Amino acid sequence: MSDSVEVKLRKETGTRASRKLRREGLVPAVLYGHGEKCVDLVATRDAVQAAVRHGSRIVELKGAVKTGALIRELQWDTFGVEPVHVDFLRVSATDRVKVKVPVDLKGECPGQRNGGVVSLILHEIELECRADAVPEKIHAAVGKLQLGGTIKVHDLELPAGAKALVDGDDAVVTCTVPVEKGEEAAAGGAEPELIGRKPTEEGEAEAEKS
Amino acid sequence: MALMPKRVKHRKSQRGRIRGDASRGNRVVFGDFGLQAEQPGWLAAATIEAGRIAAQQYLRTEGRLFVRVFPHKSITSIPLETRMGKGKGEPEFWAAVIKPGAILYEIGGVTEDAARICLARLAHKMPLRVRFVKRRVM
Repeated sequence: MSDSVEVKLRKETGTRASRKLRREGLVPAVLYGHGEKCVDLVATRDAVQAAVRHGSRIVELKGAVKTGALIRELQWDTFGVEPVHVDFLRVSATDRVKVKVPVDLKGECPGQRNGGVVSLILHEIELECRADAVPEKIHAAVGKLQLGGTIKVHDLELPAGAKALVDGDDAVVTCTVPVEKGEEAAAGGAEPELIGRKPTEEGEAEAEKS
Repeated sequence: MALMPKRVKHRKSQRGRIRGDASRGNRVVFGDFGLQAEQPGWLAAATIEAGRIAAQQYLRTEGRLFVRVFPHKSITSIPLETRMGKGKGEPEFWAAVIKPGAILYEIGGVTEDAARICLARLAHKMPLRVRFVKRRVM
């Protein structure tokens, strides 16, 4: 499902102008791709946040520019609460795009019942697929994952036409025996070792001699 | 044994000022949920360890806990009833310098409800105002 984002053309660029827009509840954006000219835009923060909340990677731009676009990059503020800037890439439905899709665990791992810990190693996977068929998530079925087992990239069920752009032998999920961490040894002293202390002392000694 | 660096160039450091927000280490990277600082401050090695123990006792063998901060700064103090002067005090403890936005701990491999309970227990040990955050996809 693709959300629609209302955009307007942005005449002023730069830090001051962008900050002013953000204070007004808007988000500076840029649109590029398809060999066409780069366009400075501005979108409402609510519309951008709604698209993110719905997990839409492809959005329909309306208003000053009417085109389908991929949210290529989204910059967030320090706390990751408000979007600061959006990069839109022009796409048509038949284009093949490269996107990072989150991996989600599906099912109950039998290895977990035997005392194992399920670790998701690859949180997101880079895919190449059609713009109109970008999946929201890739499900890793852990229903048959035994203790000591691993699900690799080539074991994942990808949507038709999608191709993983990472090594097929990369581990996605593992089920391992938890390592009991004992109390850290008291060895090592109460103070850390000083780097380059000896040369300084020698230098001082030489200075005293001279 | 509390956390501290293995090797340092200088035993003592100046106090410094914590200015600005965290521009690095402010995203959940290793786990699925995290605890984010909303205030600047120092986090003592003992406090980091107390938080880790509080979370680990709740998690037991489930999930994984990631400690994202490390005490690199030595904090000195002069003994009580000592006259002023006679140089800087001796290192008392080690602390991590925390800027607003920094992720302090992360949890992975547990449900959101369990992570919320676990990080709430951990948050009680923190001397800073903190908040629960989730991993962001985009």
